[in-house]
Amino acid sequence: MSNNYFNTLPLREQLEQLAKCRFMDISEFPDGVEALKGKKIVVIGCGAQGLAQGMNLRDSGCDVSYTLRAAAIEEKRQSWKSATENGFVVGTYEELIPTADVVLNLTPDKQHTPVVNAVMPLMKEGACLSYSHGFNIVEEGMKIREDLTVIMVAPKCPGSEVRNEYVRGFGVPTLIAVHEDNDPKGEGLALAKAYAVGTGGHKAGVLMSSFIAEVKSDLMGEQTILCGMLQTGSLLCFDKMVEEGIDAGYASKLIQFGWETVTEALKYGGVTNMLDRLSNPAKIKAYDLSEELKVIMRPLYNKHQDDIIDGTFSSTMMTDWANDDVNLLGWRAETAETAFEKTPAGDVEISEQEYFDNGILMVAMVKAGVELAFETMTAAGIIADSAYYESLHETPLIANTIARKKLYEMNATISDTAEYGCYLYNHACLPLLADFMKDIKTDVIGKGLDLEDTGVDNARLIEVNAALRAHPVEAIGTTLRGHMADMKKIV
Amino acid sequence: MNIRLDNLTVNFDDRFQLDQINWQLDDSQHWVVTGANGSGKSALAAVLAGAGENLSGSIEGLPAKVGLVSFEAQAELIEAELKKDDADIMDVIAEGTPVHEILNPGNSNQQLIDELVEKFQLQSLVDRAFRKLSTGESRKVMLIRALASEPDLLVLDEPFDGLDAHTLEMLQEYLATLVETVPMVMVLNRFDEFPDFITHIAYVDHGRLQHQIDRSDETAYNELYKLLHLKTTDLAVPGADPDNDIPRLDSNQPLVRLNGINITYDGHKIIDSLDWTIERNQHWQLSGPNGSGKTGLLSLITGDHPQCYVNDIFVFGFKRGSGESIWQIKQFIGYVSTALQWEYKVGTGLRNVIISGFYDSIGLYTKATDKQKQIADEWLALLGMTDRADTPFNKLSYGDQRLLLIARAMVKHPPLLILDEPCLGLDDMNRQLVLALIEKICAGSETSVLYVNHHPEDQIKGIENYLALEKREPGK
Repeated sequence: MSNNYFNTLPLREQLEQLAKCRFMDISEFPDGVEALKGKKIVVIGCGAQGLAQGMNLRDSGCDVSYTLRAAAIEEKRQSWKSATENGFVVGTYEELIPTADVVLNLTPDKQHTPVVNAVMPLMKEGACLSYSHGFNIVEEGMKIREDLTVIMVAPKCPGSEVRNEYVRGFGVPTLIAVHEDNDPKGEGLALAKAYAVGTGGHKAGVLMSSFIAEVKSDLMGEQTILCGMLQTGSLLCFDKMVEEGIDAGYASKLIQFGWETVTEALKYGGVTNMLDRLSNPAKIKAYDLSEELKVIMRPLYNKHQDDIIDGTFSSTMMTDWANDDVNLLGWRAETAETAFEKTPAGDVEISEQEYFDNGILMVAMVKAGVELAFETMTAAGIIADSAYYESLHETPLIANTIARKKLYEMNATISDTAEYGCYLYNHACLPLLADFMKDIKTDVIGKGLDLEDTGVDNARLIEVNAALRAHPVEAIGTTLRGHMADMKKIV
Repeated sequence: MNIRLDNLTVNFDDRFQLDQINWQLDDSQHWVVTGANGSGKSALAAVLAGAGENLSGSIEGLPAKVGLVSFEAQAELIEAELKKDDADIMDVIAEGTPVHEILNPGNSNQQLIDELVEKFQLQSLVDRAFRKLSTGESRKVMLIRALASEPDLLVLDEPFDGLDAHTLEMLQEYLATLVETVPMVMVLNRFDEFPDFITHIAYVDHGRLQHQIDRSDETAYNELYKLLHLKTTDLAVPGADPDNDIPRLDSNQPLVRLNGINITYDGHKIIDSLDWTIERNQHWQLSGPNGSGKTGLLSLITGDHPQCYVNDIFVFGFKRGSGESIWQIKQFIGYVSTALQWEYKVGTGLRNVIISGFYDSIGLYTKATDKQKQIADEWLALLGMTDRADTPFNKLSYGDQRLLLIARAMVKHPPLLILDEPCLGLDDMNRQLVLALIEKICAGSETSVLYVNHHPEDQIKGIENYLALEKREPGK
């Protein structure tokens, strides 16, 4: 059974690792991909993320090939097809791993233990093993051979965007880390930086973090605001609208595309801007609802964070892994059967503004979820920069997946750990909000406020605006989006 | 009045020909005829005053009294006056015809003439000999004469040329008072001079009436504006950025050498064992039916096709797959295609879209230098889009986007400019715009052009090398 690495550390070091996160300036990457030049990079796994990163690295002048399990090659599975059609050399672990200077493990978390156990004995003395998620090291306590360098390079976007942004001449924000227990030659940081350059990440902003901070914040964000809140919110809002007599097709569309639309405003200007898109009375309404939601949901967010920090979450999930994913698959099937999931979006025109006006409750849910996740993470010792990326920054990315194909697409795109945590959250949050939802009417979800007069009390508006702007996620957001905007003039 | 030209071909002293003109004008319309120098716009206007020799087709409904003002008519009159002088055999100093006689050849409205003389401030000149007037003064006389003749149709060829600001304003105002009573046809080539009362615009090019536009059609009006601008502007293609120099290429090496190239999709070979070398300063046209692999072939060169790593490709000094990055390749290439336009879905302002060509990026992610901004502004001036430098790219019309992407591709003066069906999806006017821009670029530049096209009417001058791909049937 695994041995949680984080729990073996003394508190002092736990806190130090959790608090690691620094935004790196582009001037810190003057050597480009030099540290990887002439080195042989072998990627394990050719899913969306693996293919995108491999193509970017190759287009940056690196030597990239793919290794797959023998069965995947023999049966010419999709991963084999993707790699060969794109002109990559593909071989088995035995064929390629021994030649590799850098091995990129881009398989799903669940496979990390068997994969790493299989490749580690084959790896060259002094080679580098790279992860894009620290779960295996931190939660499963995987011990890596002492001569190997262990790093993490994690682009904070789905594989398709990692590739598309690179082709445009840009990149996606990327988190890098060095596992300090495995940096025998002290070259971990140089390799991680070169890798981030090779995938284009340095142009969009690199966060220097730690394996621990990455895992504990990533798990928290994905299971609460990012996936859990959007899933629970979708189900509750849909059922409420139908119950109140709103056309099911309209309700389905308002939700499916509403998350994407309102979080687009979030992406550009934070929670403040998202609420500024509402009329003054609607803004005050959304603010009040979100305050109510925060009180109700705070214990749930705390529980998720506590379970993540002490390892309860990962051990529960790993039990399900060991049990053939019985829970995960059951919950996935259950989601597919929900009324929201089964009702196609209606053929109705909804203007961009209408998504805000008729989706006040959705705006309130996003605000409550983002702020709670951020507050909970920072209270647990995770630094604000990291908490921002794992809450507010990624919300629009997940919302985009719902816009494509609803919850099915979201759960298919996110990692298994995110999906598992999302269901846990959803199961706890639905009953938690039952009483709250009883008082909800179509004025805040489905029809809008329908006011003759949009006048508000000055003092109250000033109070709400000040509270919105004073939240700490807005301060760090303004700074980080400033960095992004400097580099990404496209916004 | 209802003038109708049907398939009319008119010859002008074997110097110039108007071809197959179809045109209808009626009482309620006021036209501007426009076009580049030598396009035939003046000739078309003159036809309404009876000029030229009709070779075929017909013209009907010409009014009896046409008031014509043009440089040609002015020159003729002056020449006639000078001949009178030559013809004088008596030993007296010939004065020539005085202005007041020119103004009123007999039956014009004298009261109106006096009024106009005052308006044009010619009172002191009425008794002077016509031939002693300056060009500007004789121009004014011509105008007064035409206006006072109470014509059924006024044909004014560049009536505002050479007038001082005060007179110009006065004339514009005066013409505006006539619109209810006299239909007008004006030859003008500056859009900012088009009077407000103009209802229609005719665009002439190469002796043909290419476009007839209702002024209320704003889209067409704006496109015509740009076309005329590109055709008539003195602006040249802006230079490269001296601070942003593309590395020099070895002049003995070809730009591109493809050796036994294959492109395979799902086991089916689209391109089979193709050899192709593009030498420096060669221009190429690439053609072939849909699915023959044109775009695939181009993307092997640009590095956008993943199979570029499994082929024997030499581009701009790099053997592909030898540790070079795609950005090292792309710096030598300017590229325009419909696919690029689809991908370029950004709200970046036009100036920055052009600057993004220096970085081969979609959108701009780097702070532009002042020099780059200046060059981008020169391109905007060339395209007639100066006033829209900060307009978001995705708010532009399809044709304008294409023009801008061509400017973006050319901004760094790349050794190789790839134009993948640049006219695809464009209407006639925008096609002409794009071709006009490309011809401007091709003239006097050291860039090799690789042009994908299969429409004979979209040929570009100066291309001498051709590669035609054939579609390979599955299984072969």
